[in-house]
Amino acid sequence: MTRVETQDRRQQAPRRSLTRRLWRAAPPGLRQPLGLVAALVAAAWLVICLIGPVIAPHDPLAQELPRFTPPGEIAFLGTDELGRDLLSRILAGARVTIGLSLLLVCLSMLIGSVLGLLAGFFGRWVDETIMRFTDLVLAFPTVILAMVTAAALGASLFNAVLAALVVSWPPYARVVRSIVLGLRGNDFVFSGRLLGFSAARSIRVDILPNTLGPTLVLASLDIGTAALLLSGLSFLGLGAKPPTPEWGSMVSAAVSHFDKWWLGVFPGLAILTVVMSFNFIGDALRDALDPGVERR
Amino acid sequence: MILTKNLRIRAAAVIGAAALLTSACGGADDDSGGSGGGQTGGGGGSDAAQIVVDTTFDIKTVDPGREYEPTGQILVKALYDTLLTFADDDTTTVIPDLASYESNDDQTEFTFTVAEGRVFSDGTAVTAADAVFSLQRLQGLKGNPSFLLDGVTVTEVDEMTLKLTTAEPSPALPAILATPSCGILNSKVVLENGGATDESDQAEQFLNETSAGSGPYTLDKLDAASEAILVKNPKYNGPQTPAYDTVILRNTEPATQKMNVERGDSQVALGLSGDMIDSLAEGVEVESVPSATVVFLLINSDAATSAVTAKPEFVKAVKAAIDYDSLLEIAGRGAAQATGLVPSVFLGALPASEALKYDADAAKAAAEAAGAAGQKLTLSFPNDIDPTGLNLTTLAERVQAQLAAVGIDVDLAPAPFATEVDAYRDGKEQIGLWYWNPDYMDPANYLAFGPGQTVGLRAGWPAGANTAIEELVAKGYTTGDLAERKTVFEEWGKAMNADGPFVPLVQPGSNVVYQPTVTGVYYNPVWLINVAGLSPA
Repeated sequence: MTRVETQDRRQQAPRRSLTRRLWRAAPPGLRQPLGLVAALVAAAWLVICLIGPVIAPHDPLAQELPRFTPPGEIAFLGTDELGRDLLSRILAGARVTIGLSLLLVCLSMLIGSVLGLLAGFFGRWVDETIMRFTDLVLAFPTVILAMVTAAALGASLFNAVLAALVVSWPPYARVVRSIVLGLRGNDFVFSGRLLGFSAARSIRVDILPNTLGPTLVLASLDIGTAALLLSGLSFLGLGAKPPTPEWGSMVSAAVSHFDKWWLGVFPGLAILTVVMSFNFIGDALRDALDPGVERR
Repeated sequence: MILTKNLRIRAAAVIGAAALLTSACGGADDDSGGSGGGQTGGGGGSDAAQIVVDTTFDIKTVDPGREYEPTGQILVKALYDTLLTFADDDTTTVIPDLASYESNDDQTEFTFTVAEGRVFSDGTAVTAADAVFSLQRLQGLKGNPSFLLDGVTVTEVDEMTLKLTTAEPSPALPAILATPSCGILNSKVVLENGGATDESDQAEQFLNETSAGSGPYTLDKLDAASEAILVKNPKYNGPQTPAYDTVILRNTEPATQKMNVERGDSQVALGLSGDMIDSLAEGVEVESVPSATVVFLLINSDAATSAVTAKPEFVKAVKAAIDYDSLLEIAGRGAAQATGLVPSVFLGALPASEALKYDADAAKAAAEAAGAAGQKLTLSFPNDIDPTGLNLTTLAERVQAQLAAVGIDVDLAPAPFATEVDAYRDGKEQIGLWYWNPDYMDPANYLAFGPGQTVGLRAGWPAGANTAIEELVAKGYTTGDLAERKTVFEEWGKAMNADGPFVPLVQPGSNVVYQPTVTGVYYNPVWLINVAGLSPA
């Protein structure tokens, strides 16, 4: 009964402010144990990003401990093939992986949104040009295209972000375009145009705010994927260069020492928890913000 | 609908992350290239039916005139006898195999007398004509190993005699003739199957299916991706005593090699790294010696590439900055400091007392004098190749840390071998981390590091850069007398350590792991292991 009422009210007020919708909707998503745990894990990683180097017991680059020490007293998570503390490297790696993933997602969102807005708002040849180009990029297998780009640019973290950017903006362009297409015919946009709004003002006041919600959901879902893609490129030797503590390259180095389980397991777990927690948060956000989704 | 999509996204994330996670342990259970299991030849010690050797394949062909890859060398060594050879446990003295030889005093004329009675696998006698054909074919194919006989003229004197002449004295020629590439083919059979002594030769495919040599084994099957099977040559009548009826060489990942040899699925494993050796299970033997591979730093002397690295003080700083003992720690079992560019198994290698030494204070002073402060230099190296199990990335990270400690700031620039090798060969690297495997068992191999020579030029070190060293290079190429040769090479080695733009770092260990049921395991710098020398314990 209540569910029906809620839906009805939402239909009556489609332009309620984003923060309010978040506030009203987020608790149920986070009230689930999985969502709560995910939020806590992600928050912990974000804190580590900020203060990781301060709480690290060792310099992540210092080769000062015995090599291949198993997890224990000398080093909590063990040491690697050069006697570096694994815990310190994982903590330092959080800033690299999560920081760059956030940067990547922001840039993808920016580029994708701008192109989507232009395509959706102006239509005709602008739309055709932008969307055919988007289709072209989407037609390539994501990871392969990113690998090719990274290999062509040369191995470095900056180039890995560029390479990942090449493949990660099209979904934003498509989502934003479809929203803009839907909004363009609405009365409030139309009335704005009749009042003499310029295209820029119309986009800024009437259209952009309405695209933010879905774009943010997509972005939050994308953080995990971005972390995975960047780690993957580093794993293949196309991203971080040694001795940068990056999780993907740490797993890659562990491959040749498969019997020292801690070398691969801990950076792997770091990737796993980051990817999963951001994915669950993305899910919860989408459940909260998408009016079409039934509450569970 | 939404739930399914949710699940799909979650599943994708989990699977993706888990793939990265488990790849660290994945090597353990991948395919082992037809590990048939239960192939435990030699286990009983008496029947000696078969022996399984695991290695990581690097092979293109088993045509002696064309092969130049490690796995190819192992196979060709077993399939084709050479005119001369080395004993399994010695790497300094050439001994006769298919022929004995005499040379003139100038070391420009070598006369070979083919041994009476030796036969090919089809029963026909080995003659001088076969040897002449094989060596001329090696030269004429213009393949990878053809350079071995550059400047050598091969002529037949009579049915059992041939003569090799060179314009310059070539004391290294006998050692060169002992390399598997100089194996002697049955000329009649090869000619019948498209063979020729020039580039029109079409016999490679035939030779990859059937061997045509006089060696202790013949080729039963070759699959360059998975395995090679050799069977005993029933007509073999040479000095060796092959013990196993069948030798199976399998392409196996190092991690799988370790498990296979531990549980007896294979008898010999050639590809284990030093670190793996340390965690081997009880009950297997290890032949652990420094390999003849020398890993070195190249420091570019060309000011156009880097004004800093071109300074002699900079080279001195790097040489003193490296803590060589700490490199041995990461190089693993069997490794040794490279005392000079000539590895310890060769004539003319320097004694440990002449090796470069770690001196942090001297390094700091020299680095300052070279103006290294505030300069960002680049250390380039191939990151997809592990010479003898040594991970070059790990080594480069250690070198980087040691250089940083004396005030030399380097960025690591790893790249795939195929990409980086061009910059190396063109002499474009500021600092390079590379390695050198000997082509043949003679120190003349290493003279290529001299000024104006092949490798010297890669370090931007042209002819005329150091006349004293150049004179020693010239002497090294031409001095025939063994004692004198030893002195010349030692002098050259000392001069290179003092003034050359190369820093010899380590000789990684060569680790052959084998079941105690096998004996006769010896490391050879060129053909790694002589499978015909293996026998049940």
